[in-house]
Amino acid sequence: MYLGLTGYNHESSAALVDKEGKLINYYREEVLSRIKGDKSFPKRSIKKILEFHNLTKSDIKSIAFYERPLTAFLTPLQVAAFNIPQSLPLISHQCRNFDKSSISCFLDLSKEFSGLEEKLIYLDHHLSHTLTALPYSQIQENLCSIVVDGFGDRSSTSICKVNDVYNINELWSCEYPVSLGLFYSAITDFLGFQVNEGEYKVMGLAAFGKKDSAVAKKVSDLIYWDHKNKKIISDMSYFKYHISPTDSFNNKLINLLGDPRNPFLSLLPEDDNFQHFADIAKGAQDKISEILCEIFKYAYSITRCKNFLFSGGVASNSAAISKIAELPFVDQIIVPPSPGDAGCSIGASYYAYLKNQKNLISNLPTPSIYPSRFNSNDQKLISKQIIASNFKLISSNSNDAIAKIVSLIKNGEIIGTVLNNAETGPRALGNRSLICDGLNKKAVKTLNTVIKNRSPFRPTAPCMKLSTAKKYYELRPELLGCYKYMNATCKCIDGSISNNFPTTHVDGTVRLQIIENDQILYKILTYLEKDNIDILANSSLNISGDPTSFDLIDGLMICSLRPLKYIFTDFGLLESLF
Amino acid sequence: MKKDNYRFLDVIQETACAEFGSALEMLAACKSSNKESLAYGYFEHSKDEYFHTSTFLSLLSKAGRKYPAVIARKFRINANSLITKGYVSSEGYLIEKMPLKDFIAYVYTNELLAKQSFEKIFELVKKDEKDANQILKIMKDELRHHGMAEKYFLKYYPRLQPWQLKMYRIRETIKNKGRKFYDKNLKFLDQVLKPLYFFMAYLASRIILLIDINGFKREGINLMEIKPKSII
Ligand SMILES: [Fe+2]
Ligand SMILES: [Fe+2]
Ligand SMILES: [Fe+2]
Repeated sequence: MYLGLTGYNHESSAALVDKEGKLINYYREEVLSRIKGDKSFPKRSIKKILEFHNLTKSDIKSIAFYERPLTAFLTPLQVAAFNIPQSLPLISHQCRNFDKSSISCFLDLSKEFSGLEEKLIYLDHHLSHTLTALPYSQIQENLCSIVVDGFGDRSSTSICKVNDVYNINELWSCEYPVSLGLFYSAITDFLGFQVNEGEYKVMGLAAFGKKDSAVAKKVSDLIYWDHKNKKIISDMSYFKYHISPTDSFNNKLINLLGDPRNPFLSLLPEDDNFQHFADIAKGAQDKISEILCEIFKYAYSITRCKNFLFSGGVASNSAAISKIAELPFVDQIIVPPSPGDAGCSIGASYYAYLKNQKNLISNLPTPSIYPSRFNSNDQKLISKQIIASNFKLISSNSNDAIAKIVSLIKNGEIIGTVLNNAETGPRALGNRSLICDGLNKKAVKTLNTVIKNRSPFRPTAPCMKLSTAKKYYELRPELLGCYKYMNATCKCIDGSISNNFPTTHVDGTVRLQIIENDQILYKILTYLEKDNIDILANSSLNISGDPTSFDLIDGLMICSLRPLKYIFTDFGLLESLF
Repeated sequence: MKKDNYRFLDVIQETACAEFGSALEMLAACKSSNKESLAYGYFEHSKDEYFHTSTFLSLLSKAGRKYPAVIARKFRINANSLITKGYVSSEGYLIEKMPLKDFIAYVYTNELLAKQSFEKIFELVKKDEKDANQILKIMKDELRHHGMAEKYFLKYYPRLQPWQLKMYRIRETIKNKGRKFYDKNLKFLDQVLKPLYFFMAYLASRIILLIDINGFKREGINLMEIKPKSII
């Protein structure tokens, strides 16, 4: 068995690959600790994996960590050292928090799981991203892998040619502190949203912005692609993320764009400053899309590959992906379901696996959509009184429960699901979801704002069968793999009624999910279609700002905190009496 | 006056973090229970703490709105700060670290301490009737939690006497006071030592500049071939 780990500098997680090269378990530490974006050593994830599969330490052959710790520690320090004295707070902070850097992985392993530390190996951060994306592709040779994130252990963007699983050659990179990811995060921060969490909000907000507005142009000028020298240029004098432990931008940016947004003020289309902030978001979003297109063009020119792996935090930008797909040379873009750093333990575990094979491996098997293992029976006893006191069991038989769910959805109700194994996150794809009739405006609005407490300008994703999607949306063949994991947006067909669906964003796009016949939502939709409901709205089962629910208790807790009345579990359909 | 108001934002932000931390502690306790009644108790307790958290988040939001963005931004809450601020230990939740008996005694004591700290917050918000009522309700909840913990303790450990609980309480109160004292001193010490830290950071930067990080460059290299044991 082979473990992969992430943590410290980015969200922590652990993944397990078996001796056949199959991903058999994966946990984000945040879903177990319930602390959004948890970066601490993934102790709970490792423990849960060992317990779930009844593994002893000797069953683990090798453990790979998702970055090179010393490089990850020294690179930002050296950049800061060039910026003395402004960067003294950062250098002091980094040195004093040495024990919280990834160099501690070895020590933490030896402290918590003594003996495992001897099996620890490391791989480059961007290789972790590439190896995370690779198994999701049917084609695993002669591909181009593009990784774009904030910062890993060295660079912030890179292009690799994947000749085969053992030959992954780096051809080009963009060095920290120039970073598309950190540029977008700084704008996220400026707009009052939380870095590493609010980037989706910026993307949603951008759809309301005006491309030709003065402020959008100002944002756009902060970073660009140098055509001659084939590199990204960023005016660092506006940013502080490379010299400060707390701030991402400085007064020069405030002088340029005006005051940042007060995070406690509402942000609704009718609010005073809404257009101004939407224009800023638009400037950043368009710029990201534009530079990504340039990187893809350059990647094509040096690799001649038409099939791309795309990963790193910036690959979560589903709106930019649909723009890239329009490039004439692109045949296919594969984005893993968890393109950010939390997904990297998957790539790391594959690395540990590949490094320990005597026979050459040509293909890595495609991971399940739901690799995060959970057994409801583990919580059967402890949930007994909670359920008995606060819930009514409507149906314990799965088929009967589905029939009831269908009629509830028809009546505009919202259903939560905690079924079997979970998705990798961040998107919920049915097993940890909130679903309702995707054509019912009131239900979708209630799901988004009343239950989830989300910003009203963010759209909810629609979920449907491929045949339905073809009727309403301009699907791109290059992105069929992405639609499975809600990784890309697409446009409504001109003049189609889909333009008025409640899941359609203000710019006429949707971030759709196409489901396959082995998924529970497929079954539910098959019944609903008889009543002309062919689209479900699907959002993650959580309250805005919290990690997605993982176990039964998390699901029951949401019912107790928010007006969610129905929850579909492995024990049946429950009605909340809270 | 303004300075006072920052203090208000600060108190509300810290309290929101503390309540959020309690909600997570109780949720963890619920999940690691081996008795359904205990799990139920902790579930309900966690739910209350989540509601307290959201009350403080609304108070924070209401107060933060009145400030210029550059100030208000500093009072945003980030879940990771629960760990960095020490509301949740980086070593794990209390239930993961201590025996159940100690945990129950800890809850018993801390709920009372929480109630006492809300009395001070009540003074800060009492001008607004709605806010004041919310704090009063939270105070009632904390007293109820305190009572529940006592009941559990005596039910599951009947051989222990109420005076032993009192001992726990005294110990925790001293620890809590010590923690606050330590925290205050640490912040003070931090300010005093700042020039020294910066001087050391300056020295560190001189050394770091001498390191040739060109060895980290990967252009033209097969990433699968780099030594797996290498940390650079
Ligand atoms: Fe990354
Ligand atoms: Fe509380
Ligand atoms: Fe409490």
